[in-house]
Amino acid sequence: MSEFQTVLINTAGVLSIVSFWFFVGSNALPKRQDWLIKTGNIILFVGFAALSSAIIARGIESNRFPLSNLYESLLWFAWSVIGGYLLISRSYGLKQLGWLASMTAATFFLYGSWLPAGQHEIKPLAPALVSYWRQIHVPPLIMSYAMFFIAGLSAFVQLWKTTRLRSMLLALAALAAGIAAIALGTFTDMNSFVLQGLFVGGSLSGLAGAWVNLPQQSTKKINQEHAELYEEVVYRSIMIGFPLLTIGIITGGLWANHSWGSYWSWDPKESMALATWVGYAAYIHLRIHHECSAEKLSLVAVTGMLLTMLTYLGFNSLGFGGLHSYGRFR
Amino acid sequence: MRLSPFASVKLTIILMTLIALSVLVGAWCPQEPQVGFQRVEEVFGTGMAASLRRLGITDLFHTPFFLGLIGMITLNMVACSVQRVFPKARLLKKQMVFLSEHEIGRFPNSLDVRLNCPAVEALESLGSELKKQGFLVEIKDGKLKAERAKLAILASTVTHIGLLSLLVGVTITSWTGFSGFKPVAPGGFLNFDNSEHSKLWIGSPPRWKVRVESTHREDYENGEAKQWYSKLSVIGTNGKVLKQQEISVNTPLSFDGVDVYQSSWGLDSIEISVNGHTLHLPLRQMGNANVALMQLDKQTTLIFSLRGQDKPLRIFAKIPGWQQPRMLTEVPQGGKARIGEAALGYIKPMPVTGLQYKADPGLPITYAAFAIITLGVVMAAIPYRQVWGQAIDGSSGVSRLHIAGISKKSRTTFQRNLEKILARLKARFGEPAAGELEARPADNT
Repeated sequence: MSEFQTVLINTAGVLSIVSFWFFVGSNALPKRQDWLIKTGNIILFVGFAALSSAIIARGIESNRFPLSNLYESLLWFAWSVIGGYLLISRSYGLKQLGWLASMTAATFFLYGSWLPAGQHEIKPLAPALVSYWRQIHVPPLIMSYAMFFIAGLSAFVQLWKTTRLRSMLLALAALAAGIAAIALGTFTDMNSFVLQGLFVGGSLSGLAGAWVNLPQQSTKKINQEHAELYEEVVYRSIMIGFPLLTIGIITGGLWANHSWGSYWSWDPKESMALATWVGYAAYIHLRIHHECSAEKLSLVAVTGMLLTMLTYLGFNSLGFGGLHSYGRFR
Repeated sequence: MRLSPFASVKLTIILMTLIALSVLVGAWCPQEPQVGFQRVEEVFGTGMAASLRRLGITDLFHTPFFLGLIGMITLNMVACSVQRVFPKARLLKKQMVFLSEHEIGRFPNSLDVRLNCPAVEALESLGSELKKQGFLVEIKDGKLKAERAKLAILASTVTHIGLLSLLVGVTITSWTGFSGFKPVAPGGFLNFDNSEHSKLWIGSPPRWKVRVESTHREDYENGEAKQWYSKLSVIGTNGKVLKQQEISVNTPLSFDGVDVYQSSWGLDSIEISVNGHTLHLPLRQMGNANVALMQLDKQTTLIFSLRGQDKPLRIFAKIPGWQQPRMLTEVPQGGKARIGEAALGYIKPMPVTGLQYKADPGLPITYAAFAIITLGVVMAAIPYRQVWGQAIDGSSGVSRLHIAGISKKSRTTFQRNLEKILARLKARFGEPAAGELEARPADNT
């Protein structure tokens, strides 16, 4: 990886952390809130431009579309999270999503930087990846994952705004268990079954607890307008992510049929993507048909976020095999 | 219309949840049809693998439970499509009606503004702002109606048509298609007699076959595989060559509705000569090398190691007492070496190409279904928006403009958009002082 690329990526990473503190500061200084959020957004936009340049530079250096291993996909994911947030923030003028989005982007930059050096290097492609389908199939998927993350983050804010603090904390614990399992799976040699147990057990118990505790509200007054706003952001993000996921799965099927003669093989990654798709299809049906409350929908969105995390990162770090093992590095 | 119990959205949600959970279990446990039971045993151990097999988890996607779920959701989707989704298409024909000031005022998001301009001008300016945003605008008798992206109403209809078409395509393939895999050495043939197909099969395999003329691997400079190639000939029943093509990964051969893919590649064996006798030794993959063993005498085992089709053959010897095999010599293809009493010659490596084949008669419908589903879900992301307005003249060229609208998918941005439009109109015409409108004629709508 060239020095120029490293500088651009580090700039984007540092700026996402700086913007995070501006967004956090906007909550501490209500009188200067608008200025701090605006400045945070500008800093994040500069980081977005730096990351865009880094991705283009990597593409030129490698002489191919720069999306072929876990590290490159993490760069695309951070790019999509920042871009998705800036787009949504422009329409909705949100005050509490900035620090969550910049924190997510910064976390993914750190995750990428901690990967083994071999992941950062530009390497030749495996035969199966030498295809124009790669640039058609993978970007929509990564972008859909980013939109689902934004939806999940907004769902946490929605729960907070409706004063479901206990539910929000339990859902957060479910997310923390998932993140811990993936981090341990990436950076240690822990047994896969233990990691899978941590992810599934932690997620299920956290989400079940959050569901059971939904009727529990704190005494704080609900800000109905904000709660509705964040609920709408969850829905809009999912309605952008869902077509992207559909396109990603379908183009994957077309590529697989073109390469292997079968558009569906029940490969673990395919199956997980299908489960994620079905999960979000269920969310959309629940939302359209008014089958449950906004708070329950938020928990469905958090469940979707965990499914997305499992499909995107869990596949490699929790020891699933199959045809999509290109992202593995150990 | 009375809805069938199968058209229940609650049932859809329950079935989707069960399917998602089953699919996740299927992703967690390696599936026998894809990787074989040996892999399941490697992952879980013999006892646990046997238990999982008894429960049907090692071939979950063919269990009556999973197939039952797919059957149920198919029924549910057909019932919902016919009774709930397709009737929505009628809404496309339904025309918007003009609404009065009072009807507009009943909307929770209704807005009104006083402007220093006549009602006609206020309404035309509103219409012009909406047109800029892609609305279809109609103004009549001081009232306005506008709508944008009306086709988005059809999103669920289009998506369901796509999903039902997908089921048709998959069913046709299941009843008439076939597939299989065969490793073939150069000079060998691929035929379709042992192809795999469903139990309810009504198709027939083709009589022609494919001959592998040659096969080779292309490497990157660091020795990793870049591409695999196989030159194939389609041979008719009369022995004539009907088609010739070199295939590679991502570039299959298509003939008579059958596609043949380059799926894998390997070195199968080596051909050597020992004291003038030709031998074929099978190769095994060991790390980056392909290895063959030959017992030279009671004490000595010869190990032949080949790192690539064009690489020289390295010969090692192992005898009891040596901790590690020792390399004796390296022989290029066509070369010879003497090892003790034996004259060894390396004649050639024997590659084998892994050919995957399939016939998928339902594919055109499946592909069309993919396109329709994609269109449907993209349409679902576009919000359908409707706006109503009425402007009423007051005294001295002053008017009051009432507007409201509906956008189920993005209420907040839509409402802000309406507020911005009104702010622009206020900036353009200015607001009259309070009281000026009180002299307006009584509204009789």
